[in-house]
Amino acid sequence: MSERTPEPEADPTGENEGSLSRPGSERPAYVESTIIMTTVRVIAPFVLTLGAFVMLHGASSAGGGFQGGVIAATTVVMLGFAFGIEPIAAHLRNEHLALLLLAGVGTFLVVGFGGYLVGDNFLQVSGYETLFHNGSKYSIELVEVGIGVVVSGVITGLFFLLGTGVDTESNSDSEAEGDQ
Amino acid sequence: MSLSLPIAAVLLFMLGSALAAAVLRDVVGSIVAFAGYSFGVAVLWALLRAPDVALTEAAVGAGITTVLFLLTIARTSVSRSERFEGISLRSGLAVVAIVVTVGATVPALPPVGAAGTPVLAGDVSQYYLDNAYDQTGVTNVVTAVLVGYRGFDTLGEVAVVFAAGVAMLLVLRREAFV
Repeated sequence: MSERTPEPEADPTGENEGSLSRPGSERPAYVESTIIMTTVRVIAPFVLTLGAFVMLHGASSAGGGFQGGVIAATTVVMLGFAFGIEPIAAHLRNEHLALLLLAGVGTFLVVGFGGYLVGDNFLQVSGYETLFHNGSKYSIELVEVGIGVVVSGVITGLFFLLGTGVDTESNSDSEAEGDQ
Repeated sequence: MSLSLPIAAVLLFMLGSALAAAVLRDVVGSIVAFAGYSFGVAVLWALLRAPDVALTEAAVGAGITTVLFLLTIARTSVSRSERFEGISLRSGLAVVAIVVTVGATVPALPPVGAAGTPVLAGDVSQYYLDNAYDQTGVTNVVTAVLVGYRGFDTLGEVAVVFAAGVAMLLVLRREAFV
């Protein structure tokens, strides 16, 4: 590392130089921008559609649950950047995000254990052919949708966790709770 | 492997943005350079005809990772006293040593696209290519392998993603995502 000389212009107080976190009052505030808000309003439906397309078309073209889930979650991320993270977070409920995660993993597991019913093995998708035509293809696509739902839920959750994150007050609160 | 012009250009771009990500003092600039590097990797996968990997790299590496990095860096204090990171002799020597060591293994790799590479000549990949459509009804062999043949691995990946969300809650000592 070279010599660190705190410049007065960069950091007026100099006391936060090199510190790991800075108080909420000094964080860059949310800036309301008409251009960003309008752009996001226009392209958000298309991004969500692209995410669903990539998620559902993994069986017949490039794509799949992981990519589609990330693209779908990008919609929420863009909304957070355009309208502020806290207002968007206020519209979401934790139960819904947790339900997304559980539904995705649950779909995968249901298809997996269903393999025992229709075939001999865990995740034996070819066994679904006996149930209905193209059964293995549709069960694979169902698994892809499950993956996409988990990924989009986790990405959205990470975004809000990092965005609203640890504030000094809430952190000390939770520590006090943990002590009790 | 004959280095075609587009691939050479992308490799050059990746090298430049990787260097910029390493030596830029401004962390935000460094993150943007890192996103450029990821984008270069995505373009490289697309040029090497691996669209599935390219899509993942573009969405996860260049897209969402950059957003999460920026969110995190907004919570730290950033010094903008100099434009470039100072590089000491010792860290420079360490980098050279690592590059030489890893680079020495490169000639041992088979050329890209050579017919005799194990992944092309092996029985397993030929079996997938021959039977994927008949056995799974899926026209994208990558998806057929991911879910149809190697579904258990993919279940593990989903568990990792799920664990990432839960671990984040644990680290931040919160009980709710929002």
